[in-house]
Amino acid sequence: MTDYKDIIIDHYKNPRNFGSLDNADISMDESNASCGDMIQIQVKLSGWIPGQARNDKTVIEEMRWRGVGCAISTAAASMLSEKIVGMNREDLEEFGEAGIVEMLGGEVNAGRMKCATLAYRGLLKIFENNGN
Amino acid sequence: MFDVNKIRNDFPILQRKVHGYDLVYLDSGATSQKPESVIRAMDDFYRNTNANIHRGVYEMSVESTLMVDGARKKVADFIGARTEEIIFTRNASESLNLVMYSWGKDNINEGDVILVSRLEHHSNLVPWQELCREKKAELRIIDVDSEGKLKIVGGEEKLYEEGGLRVRLGSLDKLVDAKVKLFSVTGASNVLGTLPDTLTMIRMIKERSPDVKVLIDASQMVPHMKVNVTKLEADFVAFSGHKMLGPTGTGVLWGKKKILSKMRPFLYGGDMIGEVKITGSTWADTPSRFEAGTPDIAGIIGLGVAVDYLENLGMDNVREHEKELIKYALEKMAKLEEEGLVKLYGPRDIEERGGALAFNVINVHPHDAAQILDSFGIAVRSGQHCAAPLVTSFGVPAMVRATFYVYNTKKEIDYLVDKIREVPKVFEV
Ligand SMILES: Cc1ncc(COP(=O)(O)O)c(C=O)c1O
Repeated sequence: MTDYKDIIIDHYKNPRNFGSLDNADISMDESNASCGDMIQIQVKLSGWIPGQARNDKTVIEEMRWRGVGCAISTAAASMLSEKIVGMNREDLEEFGEAGIVEMLGGEVNAGRMKCATLAYRGLLKIFENNGN
Repeated sequence: MFDVNKIRNDFPILQRKVHGYDLVYLDSGATSQKPESVIRAMDDFYRNTNANIHRGVYEMSVESTLMVDGARKKVADFIGARTEEIIFTRNASESLNLVMYSWGKDNINEGDVILVSRLEHHSNLVPWQELCREKKAELRIIDVDSEGKLKIVGGEEKLYEEGGLRVRLGSLDKLVDAKVKLFSVTGASNVLGTLPDTLTMIRMIKERSPDVKVLIDASQMVPHMKVNVTKLEADFVAFSGHKMLGPTGTGVLWGKKKILSKMRPFLYGGDMIGEVKITGSTWADTPSRFEAGTPDIAGIIGLGVAVDYLENLGMDNVREHEKELIKYALEKMAKLEEEGLVKLYGPRDIEERGGALAFNVINVHPHDAAQILDSFGIAVRSGQHCAAPLVTSFGVPAMVRATFYVYNTKKEIDYLVDKIREVPKVFEV
């Protein structure tokens, strides 16, 4: 009937790693202009010295997030927060939109890709704005 | 006679299925569906007449030119205007931008004020933000009350200053003085359906600023009710052709000839010039001055036929039909609201609103609600509807919106209400 697979409903209703980190290394905000959804992501990193640029040795150790979003963006953030532990820049880039779609059960309505990738786009920022 | 079943037969797309269900199209506020006659007129043009306008003495070019002139006349008659006051654009956004570039840049100066409302579509807000920033003018915004009606008197006034732009937000009474040079306001909200009493507002503003120019964004008016530009007491009126049964790629700007004749061109190039020398050029008269290059000829012809279609139905009948639908929908939705299933936004009095119904399903994000409704063949829009400052003023990031038009029925509303009940069930475990 709908694209709302059980796994999406589960993560939507019981989002994992929801909240904030006391000792976060960096925080990123990302939003979807057309629907007003917003997410704040905090991560702890290893292989990185504060004040210096993140490099290929930098690995995501932990992620927490919060924000307002739909079932798709919420479930995607929740699932991602588990999936990305241990990933470095290359892993994250390789995961890509295809990884998100697969993670969400193999099918995402084209109109919802922005929802599905909200948290992912936020995470990519770890390796942008480098050095802060 | 207004017979909705007969009307539905004129719209081929209404035969299609979506996810195996009959299509229930409730997004005419974004763009309307097109009747067979419009589709056929465009097809016929490309098959039998296609040639550029104003450029040839040969038969087909003459025919094309006459067809575009004819469409201009139809649009002019439809809104009680003169043909030379009708400028064809790509859409309402372009019409609004045209006023900003061709009138605003020369007539708004430092210290002047542009007055808009919080109901505006981004197309009637962002151009004025940018112009005010550039000219060091002030943008004043009439706020809305909890029902989404414009605040006329009283209340708090707020001042914002950010990135070189000064914005004042409050009730109309507090925002009007002799500095107001332009009042640009929507005639009907695309989100809440609010129909502001523009006439009363215009008269109130003119008492304090007699030379103010008035621009009405009639994108959600012209398709849905009888509009006569003289009775609006405006200087410019902008609307889209594609929301009134016409093809995409068509929009209209109406302006008073006296003002248009003094305005600089919008885009430069072919068809908009008087005389061209290597050292400079003069400009054609209105409307050509504002229509550089080859227009959407087939689209304009299609728009003319859309006007025929609406004229044939009678705009008063169109409004009556939509009023009946919105009344019915509001009653049904109010029941869901009492049950705690939805929250409705916008005025409750049908005399004060058009056919846009904004709501949220409690505890369900509007995108999820819209996608679940889509799975039953219902097309509604979700998001901020290009009106973020309005939507967020209700304390929500987004809303679901159903909009009604000539081909919608009470049965479709029953179906919508029925399926809204299914929405929360998807998230029950
Ligand atoms: C009130 C209003 N103004 C302007 C627009 C912009 O119209 P267009 O997309 O044709 O430029 C719309 C369309 O959504 C609208 O509803």
